[in-house]
Amino acid sequence: MKLLRVKLLLLFVVLLVPSLSLAARIEISAPGEQTIPLALTRLLPMGVGGSQPAIAREFLQVLEGDLELSGLFDLVDPASFMGDADKLGLRRTEIDFYQWRMLGAEALIKGGYRRDGDRLTIELRLYDVITQRLLSGRRYAGKAKAVRKIAHTFADQILKSLTGEKGPFATKIAYISKRSGNKELYMMDVDGHQPVRLTNHRSIVLNPDFSPNRKELIFTSYRNDNPDLFRKEVYTGRESRVSLKPGLNIGGRYSPDGREIALTLSKDKNSEIYLIGTDGTIHRRLTNHYGIDVDPSWSPRGDKIAFVSDRRGNPNVFIVDVRSRDVTRLTYEGKYNATPAWSPKGDRIAFSRLDEGVFNIFTIRPDGTDERQVTFGDGSKEHPRWSPDGRFLVYSLDRRGSGKSIWVMRADGTGARQISPLGENDSHPAWSDRW
Amino acid sequence: MQKITITRLVVMLFVLTLLASGCAKKAVQEEGTNDTTTQTQEVQEQQPADVSDTSVVDNSAYDAAAAARAAERAAAQGLVQIHFDFDQYVLTDDAKSTLVGNAGLLRAAPAVKVLIEGHCDERGSDEYNLALGEKRALATKNYLVSLGVAAERLAIISYGEEKPVDPAHTKEAWAKNRRADFKVKR
Repeated sequence: MKLLRVKLLLLFVVLLVPSLSLAARIEISAPGEQTIPLALTRLLPMGVGGSQPAIAREFLQVLEGDLELSGLFDLVDPASFMGDADKLGLRRTEIDFYQWRMLGAEALIKGGYRRDGDRLTIELRLYDVITQRLLSGRRYAGKAKAVRKIAHTFADQILKSLTGEKGPFATKIAYISKRSGNKELYMMDVDGHQPVRLTNHRSIVLNPDFSPNRKELIFTSYRNDNPDLFRKEVYTGRESRVSLKPGLNIGGRYSPDGREIALTLSKDKNSEIYLIGTDGTIHRRLTNHYGIDVDPSWSPRGDKIAFVSDRRGNPNVFIVDVRSRDVTRLTYEGKYNATPAWSPKGDRIAFSRLDEGVFNIFTIRPDGTDERQVTFGDGSKEHPRWSPDGRFLVYSLDRRGSGKSIWVMRADGTGARQISPLGENDSHPAWSDRW
Repeated sequence: MQKITITRLVVMLFVLTLLASGCAKKAVQEEGTNDTTTQTQEVQEQQPADVSDTSVVDNSAYDAAAAARAAERAAAQGLVQIHFDFDQYVLTDDAKSTLVGNAGLLRAAPAVKVLIEGHCDERGSDEYNLALGEKRALATKNYLVSLGVAAERLAIISYGEEKPVDPAHTKEAWAKNRRADFKVKR
């Protein structure tokens, strides 16, 4: 967080000095701590296409959802908007900044759309109200159904303009759902919209992971009567078995460079962590212990792997050095710690702890200090995975009786929201890299 | 439990009796056919109604097959699942005595192959439970092998917490779900 703060200040100093800028007055140190008052206006029709209120409504709803989840903004009540909100003028000289200043807004988003047959163009501007400076100007063009994607992409851009780092909203979340009766692999937007089924194995499909920078997933499936590791190209649908050793081929995780896969194999009658190539050939065995070793998660530099082992009795998180194979213990508290996920910045490891029959999510520094509980209350929260920018965690929440669903929250545990419906038993989310 | 054990003993006794008679008659069959196989067959064709050596041969073959089938049936129906303590794959005394019975059934039906499925309750992480279920299946297999069942006849697979017998979220359901199941393959 400190680094972010310094970065933010630097960014704004560089960009916006000498005028008194947003950043000079606002430090976005942590979500929720101090927020930017933002006026988000409705898109207005540009040119010939005429009014398409459905487009403006959907765009607003998606963008609002993303900005709220970010926790960085305090949205100015649209009911208080004055005349400028209904004027299309997007240029600096056309905007009545005084009106927005009166409402306490410090940032302003204005935009327009044009629909030409199936072609949709959306123009957007993000302004610093105080300095009247353009922070971001974007024109997006695509098919009419791309509204949601455009809104997510602009949300990413807003975060980049204000914090120096892009948001994760135009990415995908893969997960396992039982809505068809069997556990199959699905993929959806970060806000839970547009779910699509990717497998039809009619068996048991488990625990997906995205390939870095490629539109490809690995997962485990019992389709061939053994838990084998599969690979699937998301758009071509092409699918193959990567690892089919007798016994477990589970918990596959791509290395940060995408060249290797860490996974659990039990071909020698005991579960151990291995590195394999993307063609399935075994490169190295990383653990060697009669206990259970599962759930590998790479450090972003690819030099270490967190995993779960019961080698000291109860399940706990350990870290193995990929080169030396030295193993160190990470978690000491609690009696059952599992499913570690190393943050993409490398600064923290999320995991879930079973206590009195309920899992909650914790984060800890890789050196074992500063452990924090980030979820509380009813229901088991499991399988935390980070967004590619490290700002958010996605996880599954099991409310006994109504089953499991997918939730997203900020990394500090605030802003939790359900993104997949109840009753489908959705679990094992995995967040894609930026597409 | 007591009832099951008695039933199983009766079944085993029946199987053993059948098997014993089958084996004895099989010896006769071999003696008879060792002399001149073609002659016996001729007799058979010419005098199909004649009940003699040939008849015994047929009967004994029938009995052996029937005994084997009965033993297989007994194994298919009689193998009893075992249960485990939470986060444990060590066999309990109860589980061991159940496995002694299962091993008897399996020794009596040597053609039968079995898939041992290791299962867990829903508590615990999915991946950890897959590994735990495998350890349960393996511990079960190893104990059966120590009781004289050929290792090649026993395959294992873990389903972790994926296939509960009781989907309830109660202590009783969890106890039922922590188990090793036996699926007979032919």
